[in-house]
Amino acid sequence: MSFDPVTLATPFFILLVIVEILAAKFAKTRTNYEAGDTATSLAMGLGSTVAGLLTAGVVAAVTLWVYQHRLFTIPMTAIWAWVAIFFLEDLTYYWFHRLSHERRFWWAAHVNHHSSQHYNLSTALRQTWTGGLNGTWLLWMPLALLGFPPAMIAIEKGISLVYQFWIHTEAIKRLPKPIEAVFNTPSHHRVHHARNPRYLDRNYAGILIIWDRMFATFEPERDEEPPRYGIVKNLGDFNIVRVAFHEWIGIGRDLTKARSARDVLGYVFGPPGWRPGGEGTTSEDLRRAWRARVGGEGG
Amino acid sequence: MARSFTERAIFLDEGVTRVGLSAVDLNFLIKTAASGVAIALLVGLAAWARVARSTPDLDEASVRELLAFEHPDARIGAIWISADARGALVRAGDDAIIVFRLGDGYVARSAPWTTLATTAPKNGAVNLRVADVGARLKLNDGAAWPPRLEAAA
Repeated sequence: MSFDPVTLATPFFILLVIVEILAAKFAKTRTNYEAGDTATSLAMGLGSTVAGLLTAGVVAAVTLWVYQHRLFTIPMTAIWAWVAIFFLEDLTYYWFHRLSHERRFWWAAHVNHHSSQHYNLSTALRQTWTGGLNGTWLLWMPLALLGFPPAMIAIEKGISLVYQFWIHTEAIKRLPKPIEAVFNTPSHHRVHHARNPRYLDRNYAGILIIWDRMFATFEPERDEEPPRYGIVKNLGDFNIVRVAFHEWIGIGRDLTKARSARDVLGYVFGPPGWRPGGEGTTSEDLRRAWRARVGGEGG
Repeated sequence: MARSFTERAIFLDEGVTRVGLSAVDLNFLIKTAASGVAIALLVGLAAWARVARSTPDLDEASVRELLAFEHPDARIGAIWISADARGALVRAGDDAIIVFRLGDGYVARSAPWTTLATTAPKNGAVNLRVADVGARLKLNDGAAWPPRLEAAA
């Protein structure tokens, strides 16, 4: 029998969504659910599970192959091994997540998670359908090469995913300062889901926010600037096929306009919003324009 | 006999591999069907609870406020509000900015003003197709399309 934290947690995910909706209705917490948006998020979650199965075999086979060529043999029963993989997996997640935002080929698979204009527990379940196809799982292969058993990697990834569920809420404002300093929290992750120029491409953390602080991508939530959720150009409907594939379609459309190999590379691997000749609008461009508008306040 | 650490790890790995092989088994179909039912119930609960954001009808002030975020560099000229106040059309130089309601929020897109003339009203509304989105704007009885809107001075 295999131990899968996500499968075990799924009934609690459902229960917590129910609790969050009821709390919004009866306790008037700061939470909003819109039926169409909720249906899209949950359907994306179910679709992601199905899509994940299509590549799970390949991912497992490659991981096993790498593990067979491991440098060390790390025991699953050693506490130090679990401590080590906790930090190493979380660091891997940080770079996976950063790549998934800063390069269009990987953004195309991740954008659907950000496509809701809402931020609630159902948003956490709005997961990718194409993440298995774009190879980001290769980023975890160094852990297998080091000698962490594939099952240990899978469990730690599952723990990270489960942790990240509960932070998708507006019902919790701020946690005590020591927790906010070390862990990814609802406040930090609201910033990550915001489309305000100040907040774009910030707070990539999985469990620990320390990586964002270390790599200069941390941005605190500011009361005077509430997050506006979604993507820079919000989608115009709740069609789940569009949610899942719109950025891939956009890449395809742009490639038909490419006039050089540089254009092709830029459209596929450049930052989202890139256009030849500097005519596009990337997150950095938006942030620069915002700073120019607000002057000294943009620090 | 107890398995070695490595054997145990590989044994667990088989569990991961099996996930890929058991995609079409009955267990999976039952879980998927149950998930579908759970989704339907949760969406029903969300609809019943009526906890969506309040989305007041559009007026000129709210459109300007929206566009200050959505198109902060646009030079906003005259604004036209649709008959049902769920959509708006804005003149921004040679461009039109179309604002329309989606769920409990609004979405905005810009397009060359000249493209508006290619769409004819039908049944008291225009169905605009702008890039990746479709927007339906309701017209007042007998209203001309596109409305005459002045660009910002």
